Amino acid sequence: MAEREVTATPFQIGTELPRARQSVFSTRTTTLALLLPALGVTVVFLLLPLAFLIFISLTKGRTFFSATTTFTLENYASIFTQFLPNLQESLLLALLATGVDLIFGFPFAYILIRKVRYRDWVRAFMIFPMFGALYLAFGMYFILLPNGMFAPFIQALNKNGIQIPIYGLQSVVFAMSIFTFPFMVMNIGAALSNVDPKLEEAARCLGAKNWQTFTRVILPLASPGILAGILMCFGWNVGAFAEPLLLGSVAEQRAMALTLYNRGIVLFDYGTSATMGVVLMVIAFSVTYFSLRYSRGALVE
Amino acid sequence: MSRVRLVNITKRFGNTTAVSDVNMDIAEGEFVTLLGPSGCGKTTTLRMIAGLVEPTEGKIYFDEQLVNPLPPNRRNIGFVFQTHSLFPHMNVTDNIGFGLSVKGEDKQKIAARVQEMLALIGLQGYEKRMPSELSGGQQQRVALARVLATNPRVLLFDEPLSALDRNLRDQLKYNILDLQRKTHKTAIYVTHDQSEAFAISDRIFVMNLGRVEQVGTQLDIYLHPQTEFVAEFIGSNNTLAGEVIQSSDGAGERQVSVQAGNLTIQCRDYLGLKTGDHVLAFIRPENIRVLDNASSNHYLNQVEGTVEKIVFEGSTVHFDARVQDTLLRVELAGTERLTILNREGARVRLGFDEVTLIRRN
Amino acid sequence: MATNSLSLPTSKPAPRTWSFSLRWTEILQHAYIIFCCIIFVLPFIALFQYSLQKSSIISLNNVIANYSYVFGSFKDNLITSLQVSALAIIINFLISFPAAYAIVRYTFPGKRFLLSLLSLSLYVPAVVLGFGLVLTYNFGHIFIGSIWGLVFAMAVGTYPLMLTPLIVALKDLPPSFEEAALCLGASRWQTITRIVLPLIGQGIAAGVLLSFIIIFNEYLVTLFVVGTAPGLTTASLRVFNLVRTAGLLNTTAALAATMQIISFVVVLVFFRIIGTRYLKGTYLI
Repeated sequence: MAEREVTATPFQIGTELPRARQSVFSTRTTTLALLLPALGVTVVFLLLPLAFLIFISLTKGRTFFSATTTFTLENYASIFTQFLPNLQESLLLALLATGVDLIFGFPFAYILIRKVRYRDWVRAFMIFPMFGALYLAFGMYFILLPNGMFAPFIQALNKNGIQIPIYGLQSVVFAMSIFTFPFMVMNIGAALSNVDPKLEEAARCLGAKNWQTFTRVILPLASPGILAGILMCFGWNVGAFAEPLLLGSVAEQRAMALTLYNRGIVLFDYGTSATMGVVLMVIAFSVTYFSLRYSRGALVE
Repeated sequence: MSRVRLVNITKRFGNTTAVSDVNMDIAEGEFVTLLGPSGCGKTTTLRMIAGLVEPTEGKIYFDEQLVNPLPPNRRNIGFVFQTHSLFPHMNVTDNIGFGLSVKGEDKQKIAARVQEMLALIGLQGYEKRMPSELSGGQQQRVALARVLATNPRVLLFDEPLSALDRNLRDQLKYNILDLQRKTHKTAIYVTHDQSEAFAISDRIFVMNLGRVEQVGTQLDIYLHPQTEFVAEFIGSNNTLAGEVIQSSDGAGERQVSVQAGNLTIQCRDYLGLKTGDHVLAFIRPENIRVLDNASSNHYLNQVEGTVEKIVFEGSTVHFDARVQDTLLRVELAGTERLTILNREGARVRLGFDEVTLIRRN
Repeated sequence: MATNSLSLPTSKPAPRTWSFSLRWTEILQHAYIIFCCIIFVLPFIALFQYSLQKSSIISLNNVIANYSYVFGSFKDNLITSLQVSALAIIINFLISFPAAYAIVRYTFPGKRFLLSLLSLSLYVPAVVLGFGLVLTYNFGHIFIGSIWGLVFAMAVGTYPLMLTPLIVALKDLPPSFEEAALCLGASRWQTITRIVLPLIGQGIAAGVLLSFIIIFNEYLVTLFVVGTAPGLTTASLRVFNLVRTAGLLNTTAALAATMQIISFVVVLVFFRIIGTRYLKGTYLI
């Protein structure tokens, strides 16, 4: 049986088929228009300032805003000579704080994921550090001060000859590590919760002791998360500002973020401070780039 | 109430062709079904008619109007989805009235129309219910009411019953047909379920791999399949590949003998075949009869076979008959089906007349 | 049956020492968690305790005195903080929603790269962002002395936290709802406002929450961008300035405590009402 004949009836002129597109809604221009606001804000308020910083880092002192702009690479050289202690201080602080986070954070994450049921309460407590390093540093005063919360406790220690100085490396690192602790816990926690408990059971059934299961099954599977946590905490801590400022002795106040502020805003030495900004940016970016490669959290298919 | 025409419709996604040169002419008020397996392009075709997907080539007309440049909201259609279409944050009334409210109709008119629709689907009193409080069947009925409320000119159904139980499906498909008849709207229905298509369609477009294999009524498609795919997809069939060895004109009709393996089959020829043509011979299981020793010499073909694998399905019984080297499935119904039940391994005589022939390349 | 020379041991209860040490392990674990939790809130508690005092004496009068100071003298700062937060959150939404929609619903090349680009600002150290912005503003002579400079600074730093929950919410929304609305005759705008936005409300709320927490308490970028401009000092910046200049005042502690209490309450309310689904992947959950 033949199919019914179809004839295209000629009719109105000018109703030709428009150029074929992917689908009725996803045209190039629409997509671009939708992305434009976010891209625009990013370009104008993020990329431009960053590029600007790079540009200024190549100028000398405050000559950028003056008539005679001098270009130089001295600034970068000075980072590794004059300002090397500052760079080292920032790196040291970040390293120590991250180390503290790792040592205390890993067991915390492990117990939280595996053993504890009141996880939501713990999360509620973990929110507090995220409100800002400022409050943490500020609050530290009241913990350590003679007339603060722990006054009797501290006085007792003092009587036994143990002094706890307020300003110093330990306070700064302590405050910094509290601030980034949640990041470490979350990264490790996410990685641990992705380790199927059945794998542990399988290992135990095969005769592995607890420690062996831990080092040979759990640790390797969770290592991407651990690495991501380390890198993320380091990236955040490298730019620490309030903690060294409020709690640091002279040594800690050399942290590069502070130096940037002093030289840039106070002394108007734009060249040097921009260079410091670039260095901090490079460190933070490279560290974060690697942390993202190792962590989960891809939103795109 | 529109005539729908598809002219040379093709859809390509990158390197894949989902729909290839499809032509359709659907009359006003007709109920057609696009029937085929998953991936055959039926849903894509439906979505092109709706305007949710733009054809790569070809034109679509509603009556005399070219609708290609129109987005779905300007085509005045009703689209019933398989699932997840009732707006979960609106109650039944707001859902049904949505199409009218976006056009700015005044509240009283909308309320009246909603009542009308609820009466049509038999859910009066459900005005304030939320979709999550409705059963699957009720949800689809509301979805139906929702599309009818705007008085569209074409109704489009994308496997609306696939997500429901068997019993509900059987009942609801007649509701859909009923409403379509009452409202005289052109309906285009997509399904992979053959019995659904057969129950409610005026005509069926059988599709496979992006093409229309055959168009026709249920009888056309079942009794006279024109391609290998249709013969095998619709109902069940015994497929034999063979060659024409003899043709004859006798008693006013052409007949050919087809050699398929060890079997020689006599068939009526409607295709004008010549000796040496390669063909596929299709014999439906229900067309093969079990002959008792005495009579029934009027069958064109009579063979002997051994009974294997008897399956009692309830209203039918089917078994495989080993005829020389070929396995033929036979289906029996009615009281005689019970007579075969103890005869596993026995030799029986089988007779059949109806053989569909399709040319093979 | 004759008794065997090997007699099966009768079953005994588990040795006491073993179960005892297991209990100890559990107790230690819980203790550790609780210990760490206390450390988290310790700075706040110390602050809070100090804010209840005057001259080391906690009394109701002192509490009232300190906190009414907060809502008196610091009122403008709090209002500025809220204004900046509100404006920045609105901008976050206006730029993130279209982008999220395009990313989820449309196909185009380079999505991975785009998402990295749109998450970049979270990983720029605050000093760098702040310094870059203040230089840019001064160089371009824009936003000098205007609240918008700060608002955009906050927006650019936090919009990824709005983008992520929106993407999650849109991914969860079956396209059939929008398609159904369109086939029923709704325009694109009507579909977005009447169908899409209500159904992704929770994602929007998550974005608002995350942005608010960060912006409300932000002090570092603010420090650079605002400096000493009059009328633009947010509450957190005020805390910073006061700590640096006036040292340890009860009133400053009260302000800092208030900020944290407000933030905490907002978070709690959000968790109660909406839950944590949309915060996944943003590292705040």
